[in-house]
Amino acid sequence: MSPEIIIPLLAAAVQSGTPILYATLGEIFTEKSGVLNLGVEGAMIIGALTGFLVSRYTGSPALGFLAAGVAGSLATALHGIVCLWFLGNQVVSGLALTILGAGLANYIGTPFVGLSAPGFSPFAVPFLSSIPFLGPVFFQHDILVYVSYCIPVVMVLFLTRTRFGLSLRAAGEYPAAATATGLNVIAYRWLGIVGGGFFMGLGGAYLSLAYTHLWTTNLTAGRGWIAVALVIFAFWRPGRAVFGAYLFGGIMALQLRMQASGTQISSSILLMLPYALTVFVLVLSSWRKGTSEEPAALGVNVEPTE
Amino acid sequence: MGHRIPVCYTNCGDGEKLTMTGAVPLIRLENISKSFGSVYANEDVSLEIEEGKILALLGENGAGKSTLMSILAGQLQPDSGTIYLQGQPVVFSTTEKAISGGIGMVYQHFKLVDAMTVVENIFLGQKGASWLRWKEMRRAVRDLAELYGMDVDPAARISELSMGERQQVEILKLLHRKSSILIFDEPTAVLTPREADNLFATMKKMIELGKGIVFISHKLDEVMAIADNIAILRRGQIVDKIAADKVSSTAELAERMVGREVLLKVDRQPLEPRQIVLKVTGLSDSVLKEVTLSVRQGEILGLVGVAGNGQKPLVETICGLKKPTRDRVRILGMDWARFFKNPEWDKALSYIPEDRQGLATCQGLDLLDNFLLTTRDGFCKGPWLQRETARNKAVRVIEDFDIRPPDINAFAWQLSGGNLQKMVLAREFFRKPRLIVAEQPTQGLDIAATEDVWNLLLKAREAAGILLVTGDIAEALALSDRIGVMYNGRIVEIFYSDDEEKIDLIPQMMAGLRSSENSKT
Repeated sequence: MSPEIIIPLLAAAVQSGTPILYATLGEIFTEKSGVLNLGVEGAMIIGALTGFLVSRYTGSPALGFLAAGVAGSLATALHGIVCLWFLGNQVVSGLALTILGAGLANYIGTPFVGLSAPGFSPFAVPFLSSIPFLGPVFFQHDILVYVSYCIPVVMVLFLTRTRFGLSLRAAGEYPAAATATGLNVIAYRWLGIVGGGFFMGLGGAYLSLAYTHLWTTNLTAGRGWIAVALVIFAFWRPGRAVFGAYLFGGIMALQLRMQASGTQISSSILLMLPYALTVFVLVLSSWRKGTSEEPAALGVNVEPTE
Repeated sequence: MGHRIPVCYTNCGDGEKLTMTGAVPLIRLENISKSFGSVYANEDVSLEIEEGKILALLGENGAGKSTLMSILAGQLQPDSGTIYLQGQPVVFSTTEKAISGGIGMVYQHFKLVDAMTVVENIFLGQKGASWLRWKEMRRAVRDLAELYGMDVDPAARISELSMGERQQVEILKLLHRKSSILIFDEPTAVLTPREADNLFATMKKMIELGKGIVFISHKLDEVMAIADNIAILRRGQIVDKIAADKVSSTAELAERMVGREVLLKVDRQPLEPRQIVLKVTGLSDSVLKEVTLSVRQGEILGLVGVAGNGQKPLVETICGLKKPTRDRVRILGMDWARFFKNPEWDKALSYIPEDRQGLATCQGLDLLDNFLLTTRDGFCKGPWLQRETARNKAVRVIEDFDIRPPDINAFAWQLSGGNLQKMVLAREFFRKPRLIVAEQPTQGLDIAATEDVWNLLLKAREAAGILLVTGDIAEALALSDRIGVMYNGRIVEIFYSDDEEKIDLIPQMMAGLRSSENSKT
């Protein structure tokens, strides 16, 4: 394939991988604290709608983007209430959040279907964008893509180099050990849930404010579920999540292009590709588990003390 | 040496506030009591932990050691009594309070995060700067380890370390937060002998540097080797406090630990022993060494010994949980493999496990379902359970055995320990087994329940042979027709329970001071 085809394809891969990356990083953050949140899809779509509405009524996409993060946190806080206060089943609660989020967003969003809101537009980063090959692929996007480049680095530094990150990981690995050293495990799990929800909300907002500038029903289209799978594929490492997100972004971009090029392959098959890859990737990553950093106490509720 | 050592209750003194050297003890427990239901786990316990001394807390399983230490660590609250920290009364209402009071626990099950490094574990939960400086932290850990003569790589992951090294990390964690009192809960249970020696060297170093140490154990030789003072707990009470250099031998300690006073008498008439139901010949594995014994219908063979001397693997082998080498174990005249191949073996063999909440019953099921867990014969039609028939039978059994509450719909967790144990016995005896293996059947039960269980076992003896594994000599003496003593994977000796001479030697045998080689019968 010639560079004229491959460079735009890779650039598109980065762009459509970005919302997945936000959501995956959010889920990694949550799961590192020991909480399994299957409500990523719900938190994303609530974030997408909130971002869209705030941007539409204030005219400020930046404000919309931040509001989407807060909305994601609030949505996942429901999951926190169920799991951390009432010790409810994390799987069921997460599924409920997904269904609730989709229903709520589609209901509130119905009058806005097809309407647009001010969003982010691409701009080339000086100097960097003129690097051959890498420049057009990575540095001719909107600012939200550039922000997403920084998050994995910050997250790794937080998790490994700060006292709080260490405590958060301990809450996910062995809550009893963390409690024995006097830490408040529940508080760190709240941080994991609400912090992760913030990124999920941002991922949703990317769809409504940068990827498209308008609202449609079912905007997230299963990207939250792909993020859940990608966490496993990434072995709970933010760095690997970047790779995984762009891989899926690439498949999504590819199938869109193939549909547009009028191929003989049925569009249903093409649309299925990212999800088929999800299954494939899960099988693959359960084969070699050696370097996985899966939190040992993932999905296990902790009885609050006192 | 058949002499009896008078039981000395130390709080009969005037409760002097100072130690022998005239210093204020780091920690003083005064008249601590704690009960669970009708059973006292600790009764009127008074203890001092001194700076620069190792206090060994000796006692059988269930004697109340763990309860006492949980109270000290702030996990349990005493019903009455006071804790003095350097002379000042304190209340450890939470673990954090105990930690900041300088109490450090080295648990049997390490509280370490496997996926993290040594340094990360040590600094977990420590107050300080938000930004972690790994290089300095590693150096601090290395210096601390060096000071106490330990050899740990600060950058290693816990999952890569041996049990001994993990324990060192636990200790370093406590030393790093400047705990002044370190409590070791059976620390050598998971260690190789070499690692245990290293641990003792570290403990010596710690007391040199002014820490106070509590060493909980039931390994007599270790206690003799390391302790300065020894306190012995039995049935929740401190029955003895002695300086280690005043103890003449481990046998004396064993006798003080297990005691011999008879609290309860049951009427045991000897029966005519009939055919052999269990025969173990020269059984060896990683723990057991040449174990030979036999049990006949109509008799109880009591197997006594300090826990951890091979009772567990022996019981597991006999009950089919662990495969023996061929021809070593014969049940009802059949080889082990043939016996357990028959799907109806459970009609002949009953196992009454020590862990009655975990292994013997399901806490969340009602009594009927628990009854049906092991006893389904006659209550099945094809794949269907005949619950009504079973219910009628189970109701009658509950009446016969006087289980309270007498409610078939009660859940297992609602029953007290004694009633649950009676329920287990009722269920097992209902099948009319030929061989019964009972493991610590009265541990943690009150006197009344103990008496019931004893009488039930004696009655079951009429139709079955019983192997009774117990750490309680009084129980073995009250029930057994013959007694065997286990030490270090061997049966030291088996003798008739009216052999007074041998009975007096039980403590020595339990301490490994007499081997079967020089005293074969």
